Amino acid sequence: MPIKRVKPGDFTRTPVEKAPDPQLGHAIIAKERYTSPDFMKLEWERMWKRSWLMGCREDDIPEPGDYVCTEIGREAILIVRQADMSIRAFYNVCQHRGNRLVPPGIGKLKSFKCAYHHWEYGLDGDFVRIPDKETFPQGTPCQGLPEVACDSWGSFVWYNLNKQAEPLAEFLGVIPEHLDPYHFDRMAMTRDWTIEWDCNWKASVDAFNESYHVQGIHPQLLYYLDDLDIQIDCYGRHSRYLVPFATTSPRVKETSDIPPLIRLIMKQAGMDPADFDGKTREVRLAVQKWKRENGAAQGYDYSDLNDDQLTDDYHYLIFPNITLNVHADDLMLFRQRPHPTDPNNMFYDLQNFRLLKQGEEKPERPEHRFYRHGEKSLGQVLDQDAYNLPGVQLGMQSEGFPGLWLGDQELRIRHFHKVIDDYVYGPDQAETP
Amino acid sequence: MDLGLKGKKAVVTGATKGIGRKIVEALADEGVDIAICSRTAEEVEETLAVLRAKGVNAVGEAVNVRDGEAYKAWIAKAGEQLGGIDILIPNVSGGAGMDSEKNWQRNFEVDVMGSVRAVETAVPFLKKSGEGSVVFIVSTNAIETFAAPMAYNALKASLITYSKQLGQFHGKRRIRFNALSPGPIFVEGGAWDMIKTSQPDFYNATIAAHPFGRMGSAEEVAKAVAFLASPAASWVNGTHLIVDGGYTKGVHF
Repeated sequence: MPIKRVKPGDFTRTPVEKAPDPQLGHAIIAKERYTSPDFMKLEWERMWKRSWLMGCREDDIPEPGDYVCTEIGREAILIVRQADMSIRAFYNVCQHRGNRLVPPGIGKLKSFKCAYHHWEYGLDGDFVRIPDKETFPQGTPCQGLPEVACDSWGSFVWYNLNKQAEPLAEFLGVIPEHLDPYHFDRMAMTRDWTIEWDCNWKASVDAFNESYHVQGIHPQLLYYLDDLDIQIDCYGRHSRYLVPFATTSPRVKETSDIPPLIRLIMKQAGMDPADFDGKTREVRLAVQKWKRENGAAQGYDYSDLNDDQLTDDYHYLIFPNITLNVHADDLMLFRQRPHPTDPNNMFYDLQNFRLLKQGEEKPERPEHRFYRHGEKSLGQVLDQDAYNLPGVQLGMQSEGFPGLWLGDQELRIRHFHKVIDDYVYGPDQAETP
Repeated sequence: MDLGLKGKKAVVTGATKGIGRKIVEALADEGVDIAICSRTAEEVEETLAVLRAKGVNAVGEAVNVRDGEAYKAWIAKAGEQLGGIDILIPNVSGGAGMDSEKNWQRNFEVDVMGSVRAVETAVPFLKKSGEGSVVFIVSTNAIETFAAPMAYNALKASLITYSKQLGQFHGKRRIRFNALSPGPIFVEGGAWDMIKTSQPDFYNATIAAHPFGRMGSAEEVAKAVAFLASPAASWVNGTHLIVDGGYTKGVHF
């Protein structure tokens, strides 16, 4: 029985039409891009330095002087709330002897003073004070902190190291139209972890860009979602797939008893599974109907979301490194950052958000935590993903492995690497590695 | 040994899947005419076709056991359609779960009242049989602690007491009552199938705890049910038969 989906003509703000599949062939994706320091350098120069990157949330820095220092590769970027409430971004580096001004993280300052010789910069990056200024006969550098392009969308602050970058809105393309109906600004962060993972950052992106691995490393999810009836859409540099939740996979027999993970979805919606007489594969539509009818009374405004969005995973990749598991009531965000020097290492930023009830006071922001690979459980499903990745990275370095042999279920991975190639080698100039 | 089932008429609830399905197939193989119900009309039709292919009369329809009046009406209708009831097997269950207080209500309505209403509606037919037999499908969860304290376990246990007392009460009407408790039974699409995929460690530990190193099959339960239901078990009344391959550890004197 095929899964019922919202179709053209039904209410939706997020476009639901299937995008035509890009014709990207079936070639092997060469493995060297995961392991080669040379490719890493090209990727840095031509892709990371030219892409809009997620820096922080707007409400991480609510007041003038609030700042976030975020790292990408060898760079550290200061994102600073200005006196006029605008947001600007600067390189976090003193123009005197190159010292970093502040460590990574969130803070609040009236000015940025270098700890070395106390060169001091205002929130706007301009010099405030240089001790013994008269001992520099050549004068002072003509600018303060070098500025970085910065803009906001979807409650997040983005920056771009390329001063000639296209506007953020142009870079994001269809993404705002697709995701604005979720109102991320109504969500509050509940977890902010970074885990240093022993793999290339692209291995992490790949791990979440296909559903084929569900039957492999997440067998329990076969009783939670439909991993085969998935709509894959590739848009320019970004992509998504739509995964029906609150149902069982066609790979397993439908159970008489409603599986525990699906019961959990029902309970989170305020339904009582013990009071439900339908079959397991009828739960998804029943939850949609329930949330549509009861959401407002529970304090949740789902009016901009279509029915499928009330249960399903609308899963987006915002190129190059933001993976979004988007649901009506929550958002799970992965930001995948390269290690500054080692292609076999990365930083996996894991942030969870939950939709606040109307009128609910925003809870305090959770403190950022940092863990080594495997040091701390991320929850069963992400642990399964994490456990697998070091083996993938080691295998990439084997003489016995030429590269990724991708199937149709992995189209988003092929698309992702095509977009990287477009940056690294120029459009339609893709070559190995 | 001839079980003496040929030509008998049986009503089995919740018989389109799992143990119930194998019970009706086993009875049909012995020449028993059958009435079945389940929640889904298509599944009832599919099961009836399989039973009829075995050369017996088979009737049935979709019934929600929680709708007491509709359920009792169906039991009576099944008795009329079959031209009598010799065997009643209340097999349907509300299933396991610890969601809320409603699990207790659900298991009470489906497991307990689904059995009580079936018995009360079927007794007028069963007493005309002369060889009437009722088999309650219970669970080893009723006699030994397993997994978690659930309504399912406690309310299944009530059927053992109910069955024993019915066996005394209706003996003079030549109706036997017995309870049968299957242990862990592997059925495709059943709870253990899901656990095998989603909690393989728990599944393997349960397998390892079985003396035979495997779970039982629905067919093995069905054969024991068929015996208890049959005239061959004419002197077995008010007992509780555990069909678990020796899985449970309690000793029953």
